[in-house]
This record gives sequence, structure tokens and C-alpha cells, in this order.
Amino acid sequence: MRFRYRPFQAVVIALLAALVTACAAFAPLYDRAMRQALADIVIDRTPPQFSGLQVTGTVDQEYGFGYHSQAPPPEPELVLSKVPPDLRAHYRDPIMGYSALVMRSPGGLTDPRSELLWRDRQCEHLEMVDGACPSAAGEIAVSQADADQFGLTTGTTFEVAGVPGNGRHPAPTSTDLTVAGVYRQVPGDYWFGTTLTGRSGTSDPVPPSHIQGDVWVTPRTTFESRDLPTLPQATSSVDLPLDRDAVGVDDLLAMGTAIDDLSGRTNSISGASLSYLSGMSDLAEDVRAQTGQSRVTVPLLMAQLGLLAVVVLWLVLLAVTEQRRPEVALARLRGRGRRGARRLLVGELLPVALAGVVPGVALALLGTWFARSVVLPGSAPFELRLPLLYALLIAVAVLTLVTVVAVVRVTREPVVTLLRRVPPRRTGWSLGVADALLIAGCGSVVVVFATGGLDGPVALAAPGLLAIVVGLVLAHLTTPTASLVGGRMLRRGRVRAGVSVVDAARSPATRRVVAIVTLATALAVFSADALLVGDRNRQSAAEQEAGAPAVAEISGTDVRAVRAALADVDPDGRLATPVVRTVPANNTARVTVAVVPDQFRRIAIFPDGGPSAAVWDRLQASDDQPIAFAGGHVDLTLTDSTLRSQRVAGGPQPITFGIDVEIVDTGETLHVALGEIPKPAKQVDLDADVSCASGCNLTGIWLGTLPGATMRGKATVGALTTDDGAVPLGPAGQWNGFLDTTKGSIRPAEGSGDDLVLEVDGRGADELTMPQSWIPGQLPALVAGSLPPGSSENRFTLTGLDAEDQPAARAGTITRVPAGGPETSVVNLDLALRGTELAPTDRLSVWLADDDPALLDRVRAALADHQVRIANVRTLSDVRRSYDESAAAWSLQLAALVGGAALLIALLVLVVSAVSSWRFRTRDLAALRMAGVPPRSIGSMSVASQLPAVVVGVVAGTAAGLYGAHLALPIVPLFADAPLVSTLDLGIAWGAVLLAALAALVVLGLGGALIGRAMARRSDLQRLRETI
Amino acid sequence: MPGTRVTTHRLVHIYRSEGHEVAALSGVDLDVPAGGMVGLLGPSGAGKSTLLNLLAGVFRPSAGKIFIGDLELSSASDRHLDVMRAQDVSLMLQGAQRNLLPYYTPYENVRFAQGAARRAGKDVPQPDEVLETVGLADHAHTDLAALTPGHLQLAALAVAMAPQPGLLLADEPTSQLDHPARDRVLERMSVANRELGTTVVIVTHDPDVSAYLPRTITIRDGRVGGEGRSGEEYAVITPDGFLPLPLHVREELLPGTLVRFHRNEHGEYVLITEEQADG
Repeated sequence: MRFRYRPFQAVVIALLAALVTACAAFAPLYDRAMRQALADIVIDRTPPQFSGLQVTGTVDQEYGFGYHSQAPPPEPELVLSKVPPDLRAHYRDPIMGYSALVMRSPGGLTDPRSELLWRDRQCEHLEMVDGACPSAAGEIAVSQADADQFGLTTGTTFEVAGVPGNGRHPAPTSTDLTVAGVYRQVPGDYWFGTTLTGRSGTSDPVPPSHIQGDVWVTPRTTFESRDLPTLPQATSSVDLPLDRDAVGVDDLLAMGTAIDDLSGRTNSISGASLSYLSGMSDLAEDVRAQTGQSRVTVPLLMAQLGLLAVVVLWLVLLAVTEQRRPEVALARLRGRGRRGARRLLVGELLPVALAGVVPGVALALLGTWFARSVVLPGSAPFELRLPLLYALLIAVAVLTLVTVVAVVRVTREPVVTLLRRVPPRRTGWSLGVADALLIAGCGSVVVVFATGGLDGPVALAAPGLLAIVVGLVLAHLTTPTASLVGGRMLRRGRVRAGVSVVDAARSPATRRVVAIVTLATALAVFSADALLVGDRNRQSAAEQEAGAPAVAEISGTDVRAVRAALADVDPDGRLATPVVRTVPANNTARVTVAVVPDQFRRIAIFPDGGPSAAVWDRLQASDDQPIAFAGGHVDLTLTDSTLRSQRVAGGPQPITFGIDVEIVDTGETLHVALGEIPKPAKQVDLDADVSCASGCNLTGIWLGTLPGATMRGKATVGALTTDDGAVPLGPAGQWNGFLDTTKGSIRPAEGSGDDLVLEVDGRGADELTMPQSWIPGQLPALVAGSLPPGSSENRFTLTGLDAEDQPAARAGTITRVPAGGPETSVVNLDLALRGTELAPTDRLSVWLADDDPALLDRVRAALADHQVRIANVRTLSDVRRSYDESAAAWSLQLAALVGGAALLIALLVLVVSAVSSWRFRTRDLAALRMAGVPPRSIGSMSVASQLPAVVVGVVAGTAAGLYGAHLALPIVPLFADAPLVSTLDLGIAWGAVLLAALAALVVLGLGGALIGRAMARRSDLQRLRETI
Repeated sequence: MPGTRVTTHRLVHIYRSEGHEVAALSGVDLDVPAGGMVGLLGPSGAGKSTLLNLLAGVFRPSAGKIFIGDLELSSASDRHLDVMRAQDVSLMLQGAQRNLLPYYTPYENVRFAQGAARRAGKDVPQPDEVLETVGLADHAHTDLAALTPGHLQLAALAVAMAPQPGLLLADEPTSQLDHPARDRVLERMSVANRELGTTVVIVTHDPDVSAYLPRTITIRDGRVGGEGRSGEEYAVITPDGFLPLPLHVREELLPGTLVRFHRNEHGEYVLITEEQADG
């Protein structure tokens, strides 16, 4: 009934209440949907063997004097029974299995040693290339590689050894296995990450290094038949694939804890120990950590939007209750007292406010639906949970409180004041107690936060509180200032502008508009800045982590083949470049990254711009040339040798003379001994066969003796003679001396003609090598991070590509190495490769300037032509996606919503203010019209009078938003996990800030202008007859 | 219910505004017996509305005493004032709509006005009866927006009479009405006074209204300047013995004029100036 009388007010109050409710309700709904999406993403990204549960039953062998024995493993069904039913419910059908390690008899080094495996339903996941899937006890299927390598063709039978039973299970100690077929593994989740092939013909890294075979697949009966022996290291297992569709975030977290508990206990069954293997604990921890982050950002944004909505609701309620002063006066005059008057207003306004709860919830649900459908990946289920109820209770409490306080403010006024037709208006500076308290309270929080004395949830509201302080102070300053300025303008004859400013000063809505526009703009600016800073940092982090638009990891370390392939595809080196990375021995060791500087500089992404071309030039190779030769046999003559070797407590020892050569085609380094120098001699002829028919580079001359023996003396080395002719080893400038305080030295000295004189002073080293000057004595490196301990000035030791220590010199610094860790050295690949080979542990990759699949296909094909395979490809967009699909990123996406909503709320305030004061203002304009001011001028003055408050609010709000961002952004989580190398940049995103400020100015300015025009249109002379 | 007697003693009220003080009433002595019907007359700013608000307990007097029945208002608590307004004193504000909740019908407004009295246990008539009394029964459930000004004023009167107060205070109740409506409103107020015994105090500018009232009190310069009884105008001697001269006499007898009272042979008092006495 009463709402019908003032439908617009009721709609506005209900709308704002709906917004407050939506802010409160949306936070838990979005947070929940985000968690579910996070759980989905985390599970989807995780291989089945980590998301699933593997339970293995192992029976230890029993050892005695001269014998060992083993009981058979427990049946898989028994193992499965040890998985608690509530945990079991989260997994799909179990995959039972047995496995054992068997070796073809008689067990020599050339007899293959393989894993014998049974998995439930295995034949459905194997493609039989030959023969049939094994079905009888003792039958096996082998890989094609094993069939070829060990002659295990279909029908072949061979014997394997078993383990004697422990008395409970007497059985023969060996059995025959018959090859029933040759399989090809059909890849899929079924295998739980197990690769059946790839080991055939390789040596077991564990001594005595038997040759290994691929996995031999056999039926269950092979393990359970009483006619067969217990097989060595037999285990039974159950693999439980996770039921991804049925597991939600709560299940995931609970499972992590449950599996931790299970693993922490001692589990055994039938004498077998059980082990539980799952990555679920890590997944749960990851989800837990990320959801912890979302608890920061979501409230930060939603609470501020909610705060804005509450403030606006408060202002609207003040205007509404102000309008009801006569009604309150009536209630008081009819003897209802303050309480009765309060009841009258609360009875009218509170139901309207609470009516907004329902659409608010609907709005929140709609927003969550949109977020689930568009923003969040996966299919987060729709859920209504207890936190939503709490949020609604909070919303109801806030709405009730705001309404009651606004009502009390009016109803406690004396009757005589209430009876005044126009409430007293202040035109000068005045600060009410409530505003003063609000400014003092909010200001205190901001100051404490800015000085680092505040953290946690309250700190999250700092930007909003700061904007409230600025907005309120400014609002109270605006009216007297505008009066002053307007008056001055009028005195100077600037009538139109002066009247506009005075009009703004006279308007009771000006303060309200200034405060709200400041708050809304601050929120929009903060949100835009947070959104863009988050985006920029995720991009930088992704670029740093990826290194290049696309990176193809190469299988193997044949860098020369890779370079040859890339030369075919990209002769200029503008599209693809090879990169070699050493794998450090431990987490603290420095990583060496070898690159082709010119190419790397163009293709790699440097988030901060990277070193200049001049710095990169410092990595270039020297002009020294290698000593090249070709031939299958080399001769060399030593003359005037005084070289002698002596052990401290022994007699003279022979000295071995040798050379290091690098085969040009393959890069393989040969360490060739040419012969011994028994004692000082006038002439010693040395020779050896070398595999240098296609051409080699002589990279070093070495002398060797027994460890601990000294080596001293000089010798003149003549030319190296090959089938193709003589290669002079002098002059001495072609060689770098070697000097080590503990090992001794070997130095070059000038001889006559092309001869080379060696001066040797060995102090117990078994070998001294003098490198050719083409081999860099100190590898120039660009260094990220600090030099390792023990470095002197710029000289330090890095890990060479052969995994050996390599002397290096810091040629420059680099802030961050793309895709590198914080402690990384960048060297020239050409230089680093001289005289050495890649260690097997090195990682070789090809970096591409573009993630264009066509380019990748061309590179892949070229590599294949050189027998090089790409193991995997990772693109920048892949990495970026992994950063984007995180609670931190999803939370920040709310900023866009918050910024937009803030501006719309401010626009609503403009409209409400205009509606609540239009009579008063149009009467002023009508008075001007009466005084003869042309309608056109009145129109422009009315429009102009709206703008000062908007402009002042936008400018102040922008400043408050920027400072708020400066305060709050350091506590906003931008990443799920902090990147290994920080690229954090919390600098202001000026583009976004200016855009947000401009948007605020345009939306609110345009809104204000339209309102001004509407006012001017209604300012006819009729207004002057109206009673205010 | 019998009407409520209204008495004031040396009533003073001073407005304070922006550092200035203005004496609106400067020692008003007034006695309106229970069941009386009095009009307060006087020029604008004379203090009649102030007096009315003081009688309603809206203002607290700066000095002096006000008795509404047995209740002395200057020292009454807010709660006592609330109870008084709920049951015994109704104030009709100038402008009919200011007395009505805009979203209620006349019936609902009357019921609303009775709420406090009902809660206090006072036996009040049904809203329909009240509306019947003021002659608005036909419009009991009509929207206020659809009522004529005369009907609105009757609705305001019904609201004021809703708790059957002992004292009805009306501020310019006929100021915006045409003559038939004015007469109807005055007639209904007279009926209330006559039949219910309600004491009625009306502030008015309208000579026709004052002529309708059996007793009028003229407030001038914050004091009781005169009193009319049955069409005859009298000056009233204050408790201090002062005699405010009627306005038309003041225009002839300028300040400083010396006068004396003479009782003639008929026992009548005659005011003689010094000039007349010398001449």
C-alpha cells in the first residue's frame, strides 16, 4: 500500500538491497564454483597414476644360510579389501595386477631381464602384432623390440628362474615361458602411466648390469598356478582410477587427508606389506593453497562493491527518511513517541529493503551461472551450501541495520524540527558527528594499513575505506568551496559559470554525489588496475617460464643433427634456434644455458627487454682457428725430451703422450694416446690410429703418468703427420697454457720453425692437458644472479655441456634468463661445444619464434630427416593458460564486474539525487527564467551545474584508487604458486587506470548532463507556484 | 469525555536563531475553561502559532507555566507529552495534507491516529464513527488524492478528533477553503465542542471565523492584547495591572501620553488624557 505511493523509491531501495545481497551471496557462490573448477582443472591436468590410487602388496624374500625363499604375494582382491569403502567409492573399477622380475636362464649378462606383468583386462588394451594374447599359465606376449632383440618370436619357449617357496607353497624353482604373441601397447589411462616398451636391449643401471627386456605380459594364472614357482620379487597390486566426474573439491580434500592417514600407518595383509601410492595429497594441498588465495581476492573486490552499495543505500535511505519527516512528525503528534515513529518508518522501509534479498539472491545465482558457464573452465556443479545462508544472514543484518540507523536518525529529532517544512540546510563547512566518526575510523584503518601495521581481512577493505575518507572530506569541502568560487565568478561577471557553480553548491545532493562518485571511481580505478596488473604479471611470468612462443624438447642430445636440421628449415636462424641446458646436480647449483646468441636474442622472450646487442656480442667466439687435419693414422716426433716422471716413494715412471681430437662431423671427442716416453731422450717417435678420415680438430696435447707421480721437463713437439701430410703444431700462440696450483702446469714455448716446445711441471696430477687456443680457456658468460662461492672477481666455474667444471668469465649480467632459474649462466653454444660433447643429462630443445603449427611441423619434419625426435612441445599460450586457470586469476577477473558495477551504482545515485531534489532545483531554474534568463542559457547552466561534482569526484576517486592499489596490490595473490624467477611488477597499469577514469567521466558526466537537461526542461514558471 | 482546561501563567517564549534572540511571547496569561471554544487572533508574527505549539507541547516555554488539565508542560517528560498527545491533546497543523499520511485513506488515517490511544487503553470510537461525526463517512476509503480540499480538511479534523481529545488545537483550519467548506469545518468543530465537550482553540486570521467563535483572544506583540466575547472587544488587564490599549486607541494615544482613569457618576471608568483634564 505504502510502496504504491512511492514506487520509484521502493524500486531503488529494493534494487540497492538486491545489490548488497548479491555482493554478499555472490562471494561464497563464486568462491565455491571456483573451487570446483579448480578441482576439475587440477584433476584433469594430473596423470591418472597420480590422481588415482595404487596399492601394492609386497612379500619380502626370506634369506638364510645358502638359500632364500619367498611366499606368493596376496591376491589382488585381498589387497583391494584394505582400501576403506568410503575411499573406494571415489574410484572407478579397480585394475588388479601382478608383477615379477624374471630373467631368462641361465641368467648371463646377455640374458634379458624383464618385468612379467598381469593386469586385469589387459588384452583389451594390447594390439597383437603377431600371435595371440596369452591366456594360459606360462604364456607371455612380448614387444616387437624383444622379439627382434632376443629372438623371442611367437612359439619360442624359454626357461626362467623362480624363487623357492618358503614351505607353505612348495613349487618347482623354475618354469618355462612360451611366447604366445607380439604386442603393441595401446596408449591410454588404463596403463596408469606404465610404458611396457623402451627398455629392450638397454643395460640395467644397477650392477651387474644385465641386459633388459621390455615388459612381458602374461595371464593371471602364471602367478597363481601351483605348477609354477613363485616368481622373483612378485607383487600384487590394485590400481584405482579416480572417478573424475564424481569427485568434487570436498571429496578431493578429504581423500588427500584419508590417503595421508592410510600411508602413515603400517599396513599388512597375509604377511605382505601394503604400500599406497597417490598424488592426491599434493593435489589436495594445491587446491587448498589456491582456495586460500581466493579468500583474499574475492572478498577484497566483493566487499568493496558491497560497501559501495551499502553506502549508496544509506544515502538513499537518508534522502527517503528525510522526505518522511512530516510523517514522523505526525506520528509524534499523535502520541506515538519516538518508538512509534520508528516503527512507522521501519515498517515501511524494511520490508522493501528485505524484499531486495530475493532478487539479490537471484542476481547472485545468475552471476554464478554466468561465471560457471563463461569464466570458469570445466563444469562446476550448481550448489547451495551453508556459507550462502551465512552470507544472506549477513546481508539481512546489514540491510536491517542500515535501515534502522537511517530511520533512527530522523525519528530522534525533536518534533519542532520535524515540523519544519524545509529541513535546515548548511552551506558552510560543517561536519556531523557520524561523518566525523566515519572519517576518523576509516582514516585510522588506512593509516595503520599504510604504515604496515595491519594485515588480514580488514586490510582488504583499505582501498574502499580510503575512498570513503577522501570522498567524505571532499564532499564537505565542496559546498563551501563551490559557494566561494561561484560567488567570485558572479562578481567577475561570469554569470553562466558562476550560476552553475552556485547551483551545485546550493544543491543538497552535491555532497552525496561527490562522495559516491569518488568512491565509485576509486573502486573502478582500483579494479581496472588490479585486473591489468594481474594480467600483465601472468603474461610476464608465462613468458619467463616458457622462454619463447614455442619450445620443442628434443629426445636425445645430438645437437649437431639438430643444428643441421634447423639450418635446412631456417638458414637465417630467425625462426628457430637450439638451446642446451645443463641439469644441475642439486637445487642450489647454477644452470648453464648454451645458446646461439644472435638467434637466441631474436627468438627468446625477455619480459624486461633483455641485454643489449653489445652485451650479447661479448659471448662471440674468438678469431682463433682450430688445428685441422684428416687421416686414419698420425705420427709425431718428440725431440730433446727432458721429461721425466717420478713417484715420491718409488722409481721413475713412464710418461704417456697423447692428443685430444674432435671429429668434425659428429663432435665426438677422442682421447688418443700416441705412446710412452720412457725417460729423457733425444728423439721419441710416437704414432696411433685415429678415426679422423673425415676430418678432425686437434683440441689438446696431454701427458699422463701414474697418480701421485711428478712430471717435469721440456720437449720439442714436431709436426703432426698424417696420410695427407704434415700439420705444424707451432707457433706457441696457438696453445693456451694450463696452470693449476695443485696439479701443476703445462705451457707452450716457441720452438724453431713450426715446432712447439712443451714445458711441464706436474705435481702429482695423473694427467695434464694443454688446450689448443681454439678451445676457450674461460668461457665468456652472461650471468643471472650472484656468482658462486669461491669466484674471484669475474672468474668462476660453471657446469660445462659435458657436465664437467668449466672455467668461465662473467662477460656481463642478465636480469633474467628466459626459462632459466635465478642462478643461470648463458654461454655461446658454439664456444661451449668446442672440444666437448653434450652430457646425457643435458636438455636439448629448439626454441621457435612463433607457435604456428605449420612452423612446428616443418621443424619436426626436418628433425626427423636427421633422426631427431621431438619429445614434447610447450607453447607460451600453454604456459599462460596454466597461469590463467588458477584461483588467483579467476578471483581477479571479478575486478571487471566490480568496476563496471561501481560506475552503474554511481549513475544510480545521480538519478536518485536528481529525483529527490528536482522540485527544489527546478524552482531555482524557474526563478532564473522569471528573471529573464533565456531558456537556452538555463539549459546549459543546468547541465554545467551537474558537472563540477562529477569531475571533482572522478579526479579524487582516481587518486584514491591509485593509492588504494598501491596499498592493497602487494597483498593480492597474483599466482597460484610464486614463479621460480620473479617477474613481479606492481607498477600502475596507466592505460587501464586512464580508461577507467575516462569511463567514469563519460558515464557519469553524460548521466549528469542528461539529468541537467531534464531539470531544465521541467523548470517552467509553474514551479514557482509550488509550495516546497 | 469532558474537555480539558488550559491555563498559562506569565508564559514567555524566546526563539534563538544564529545568535539572535526574539521574544515571541512575553508573559501570556490565559485561561480556557474545559469545554471552551476560543479563537486566537492577531497579526502575523504576533505569537499565536507559537502559543498553539506551546499548548501542544511542541515547544518548551522559556519561562512561565502551562497547564493542560493537571499536567504542567514546562516540566513534563517526553513520555508524559507522548501520553498527553495520544489521549488528550490533538494539534491540527495548517494545511490539511500535513495532518494526513499520504498513502492512507481517511479511515486508515483515523485508525493510525487512534493507535497510541488504543494502546494506552483509552476507549475510542471506531474510525467509521469518527468519520461519521465529521461528515466524511462517504469518503472513508477514498484515496486522499481524490478528495476535495474541504474533504481533506474534514479528514484532518477527523484525524485530530480520532482519539477523542480533551483539547483540540487547530492552526488556521480554514485558511485554504472556500466558504461552504469553511463553514462545514467550523460547524463540525462546534459540534465536537458542543457534543463531546472538547475544548477547542483555533488560530485564525479570518474575521468570519472569529465572528463564529464565542470567545476570541487577540495576541499582540507577544501578549494578550484583547479579548472578544460575543462580538464585543475588550482589553484585558494583566496580573501586574497593565492594560494593553486596543490598536485603534494606540494610534491616537501616542507613547508618553499621560492618562488617568475617572469613574463617572454612572460608575463607569473613563480614560482621560492630561490634555483633556487641563482643557
